[in-house]
Amino acid sequence: MREIAVIFRKELRDAYRGRWLIAFAATFALVALLLSLVQGSGGDIGQQGFSRTTAGLINLCLLLVPLLALVLGASSIAGERERGTLATLLAQPISSSQVIIGKYLGLVAAVWASIALGFGAAGMVMALVSPITDVNHYLLFVALSAVLATAMLSIGMLISVLSDGRLKALSIAIVAWFVMVLLYDLGAVGLALAVSSSGRTLLLVVLGNPIECVRILAIMSLESDLEVLGPLGSYVANEVGTGAGITLLGSMLVVWALAPLAAALAVARTRDA
Amino acid sequence: MLNATGLTKRYGDVAALDDVGFELNAGEVLAVIGANGAGKTTLIKCLMGLVKFQGNVKVDGIDVARSGPAARKKIGYLPQNPAFHTDLSVAETALFYADLKRVSAMRARQLVETVGLGEHAAKKVGALSGGMRQRLSLAVALLAEPMLLVFDEPVAGLDMPARLELRRLVLEQRDSGRAVVLSTHWLEDVPYIADRVLALERGKCAFLGPASESAAAISPLSRLYLRLNGHTPDAIGIIQEAAPAGSVARSGDWVVVRCKALDKAMVVERLLASGIRVLDFRVEEAPAETASSFHDLTHEGDIR
Repeated sequence: MREIAVIFRKELRDAYRGRWLIAFAATFALVALLLSLVQGSGGDIGQQGFSRTTAGLINLCLLLVPLLALVLGASSIAGERERGTLATLLAQPISSSQVIIGKYLGLVAAVWASIALGFGAAGMVMALVSPITDVNHYLLFVALSAVLATAMLSIGMLISVLSDGRLKALSIAIVAWFVMVLLYDLGAVGLALAVSSSGRTLLLVVLGNPIECVRILAIMSLESDLEVLGPLGSYVANEVGTGAGITLLGSMLVVWALAPLAAALAVARTRDA
Repeated sequence: MLNATGLTKRYGDVAALDDVGFELNAGEVLAVIGANGAGKTTLIKCLMGLVKFQGNVKVDGIDVARSGPAARKKIGYLPQNPAFHTDLSVAETALFYADLKRVSAMRARQLVETVGLGEHAAKKVGALSGGMRQRLSLAVALLAEPMLLVFDEPVAGLDMPARLELRRLVLEQRDSGRAVVLSTHWLEDVPYIADRVLALERGKCAFLGPASESAAAISPLSRLYLRLNGHTPDAIGIIQEAAPAGSVARSGDWVVVRCKALDKAMVVERLLASGIRVLDFRVEEAPAETASSFHDLTHEGDIR
């Protein structure tokens, strides 16, 4: 455990020193404030500021958070390998699993900190200029962003362990982001609809992508009527149940946070330093 | 202390290391020699558990492949090209590795002083010279007072004073009871520091035994330039007798003899004994990489 803690602390310190933690926090804050400002200019900022901002932020963050997390995760181990520092680390009394877990936890903590700082600061500014009417949705959205980042970092770590160099890892990460964020809707959902448009099939498709899981969870938190989700919403509302649906999606996010990491650990054990 | 048996490492169809084995006791220095690509670094990586391999490596009874971290607690490793996080300072790097090895911060600071980096403690690793990085690497290797030190080509890129310092250090470590594995392709270091020698050739063990017996088997090559007093045709026959594994060629006024380093004195001695005066001479010593294989010597075009 101590070895993991040493790597964890170093990763956090690197994030702070490398300024990316602050840069990400500033980006998140800026995005949230700009969106709030744009939507506020439409009229009733005081009445539904948080809900409107949250709804607007979801789509933006479903693009931004996965990209940042994938890139960070992918460059972590591959970067160390490319610089030769991975071999130096692994020549010490530490296993590859401890290095990966330490780096993963460090990155997760750093990204959580930047999300909390960024959206937290934006939330406070919004609260200062308008009465808080619905802060719960906003907080839930922040939490979902953190969970999504955790899952995407895990996928990024797997890409990193599989790649020989940092550039290759980053290229794969960008392609993975493109597929998961942009093509998945068109491809997988389209295919599912072509094969069978049942709500069950659509739910299975959603579970196959952590970004879709978070999207549906966020919509479920904002909309009481699940019919807005079409056949999927009907299926969840009528067959699965809203509570069970949320549990299922949440559990799947946990699986997405752990399974790629477990695969990364298994691959690392078979690879040379 | 260190027991390696049947070490084999393949990269595809190529065996970088092929059934190599040896033992090393506390207070002994084993020099691993061979040309570039002979398998020295691969062997070192196997000893450290940095690559997957067939065979067994045990450090103080602990299997490196099965219990890597536990085995590496007993090993200090000085790589050929030390790679540290360049954004950390010298002191931070020492403290980071001290933390990993569960060693006090005080010992880390002491070792930074000991290796002569005290006044550079605040300097970023990225700003250090190659020699300074080697020193930092040495400090990191010595942090946990390891029972076994593994040096991978530590003299590469070092100037003569630094090499002499390294020789002194190796002997110091041996005298303090540590076992040392030292990979090098500079054979002239071997007699000064090694008790035993493992010579690798294309991944296979070409020689394993006491350093005192290794010289004849693994003598490096010398190129001897002789300017004689006009009896060159006679001299060539004498030289061929004195250095039977060597080659002789003429280059202007000079006779160029390529032979095992051990034979070069015999060449001069025989010439003088035959009444052939040596007006001038010059010697070039070759490192192991050019003397890796006596096939090179005995199958060269200009031989006899």
